[in-house]
Amino acid sequence: MKKYFLSLFLLVSLHSQAQEVGLNARRKWFLPDHLKLQFAGNIGFLSGGPGYASRNQTLETDLLFGFLPQKFGGDALVTTTLKTTYSPWRIGLRNNYYIRPFSIGAYLSYTFGPQFDSKWPSYYPAGYYWWATSIRPGAYIGGKAGRNVVLNNHRRSLELYYELGTYDLLMISYIQNKGFLKLHDIVSLSIGVKYGFD
Amino acid sequence: MIFGVIEMRSPGRVSLLFTKSSTKLKYILRRTGLGLCLAMTSLLTSCDDLFQYNPNEETLLEKERNLTAKNIERITQLSVSDTTRFILMGDSQRWYDECEEFVKSANQQKDISFVLHAGDISDFGLTQEFKWVNEIMTRLKYPYVTVIGNHDIVANGSATYRKMFGPLNYSFGFGHDRFIFINTNSREYAFDGSVPDIAWLKSQLADNPAKLNTIVVGHVPPFDADFDKNLEKPYTEALAGDPNVKFTLYGHQHRFYEGQFYDDGVNYHLTTSMGARGYMVITTWKGGYKVERVEF
Repeated sequence: MKKYFLSLFLLVSLHSQAQEVGLNARRKWFLPDHLKLQFAGNIGFLSGGPGYASRNQTLETDLLFGFLPQKFGGDALVTTTLKTTYSPWRIGLRNNYYIRPFSIGAYLSYTFGPQFDSKWPSYYPAGYYWWATSIRPGAYIGGKAGRNVVLNNHRRSLELYYELGTYDLLMISYIQNKGFLKLHDIVSLSIGVKYGFD
Repeated sequence: MIFGVIEMRSPGRVSLLFTKSSTKLKYILRRTGLGLCLAMTSLLTSCDDLFQYNPNEETLLEKERNLTAKNIERITQLSVSDTTRFILMGDSQRWYDECEEFVKSANQQKDISFVLHAGDISDFGLTQEFKWVNEIMTRLKYPYVTVIGNHDIVANGSATYRKMFGPLNYSFGFGHDRFIFINTNSREYAFDGSVPDIAWLKSQLADNPAKLNTIVVGHVPPFDADFDKNLEKPYTEALAGDPNVKFTLYGHQHRFYEGQFYDDGVNYHLTTSMGARGYMVITTWKGGYKVERVEF
């Protein structure tokens, strides 16, 4: 845990000291626009993977592979997640820093394991359980801050983001139990870093 | 806590990033970094579930583990009298508000020793749901023990149930009574003949040297479609064949329902769900018992 964050901060400081020179070459269309590494958020203890961004950088779609070690989760769980984030506003700051103050997004995650079902086995009557245990849709809001840098003559960006999210089963529980459940009972925090190849 | 340590270091790190920036900005960042550190630390210590890793994670606090053993320990320390009064409730699944109302109502009952939860503690088999129901049930003035329901077996539910409560089949004695809790959720095991465990039930019934009144508690009653048809007869005959079994308790159907359905001298009682806002108060004494329905 500690190691991850330290290396993250080291990475940030390394990039900010890079000289601002050079140009970027046009990249192949199929190469990912960025890589993300995320901590928590119901898609793994750590999850990471490639993603694509719209030309104006407001829409990002990522494919994340997540892992939850037994030590932190009581059970070792592997997930894949498809997630899309919309961050409409960009505020430029000095020294190529910028903030995207508001993000909203949704995800669909799949957890692997024989105890989880996408389609219930035939020994259940149709509709006996209405939800799939392996597939979880969720949603979140958040924000991020980043900096554009030039590294080895390539334009790169580094962003830190946070998200406050929940998922379908908790939302339903909350809607039906507003006396006992408070919003903070169903919302959890995740934080992540994005490395962009602009 | 580790996260807190990192935040403690972050003011220094942040200032590294801004080597080209003014000293004033550095100063502000140092101050906000310190503030963020304090805010994060207080948030972390006040909130156990700030970070969640997977809906199916099985993370529990020590006070949320082995609850069956801990609560039986509390029950055995209660004073025994000629009559025993306890509550049977069940199916708290996704009815937290109603379950809170139940606790208020149950706490006003007189001379209750403990509460039996007839299963379907959770709706989706999520650890988070078990924790919420436990949070509500610990507000009872009495200890509570549970039997596993079909919804509690979904996904990682049964693994969480084992960690949080204990074995899926167990028994304990109190006063003139002996309680046998048995997993009767056959459908969750594809009706493979293993659930309910008839051999275990028979051995438990046989192990009764003091001839205590025996009360078998399950979630799915034997006449329900979710109970293994091939085991219905062996199960009901095991109960009827024991002269110490006068009645047996269930949940699952979300309705009050009772009768001697097999004409064999054993009375079956089903309690309703929390959603239907009802429970039962059961009184037992040597040679008899009484069941009262309560609506809240």
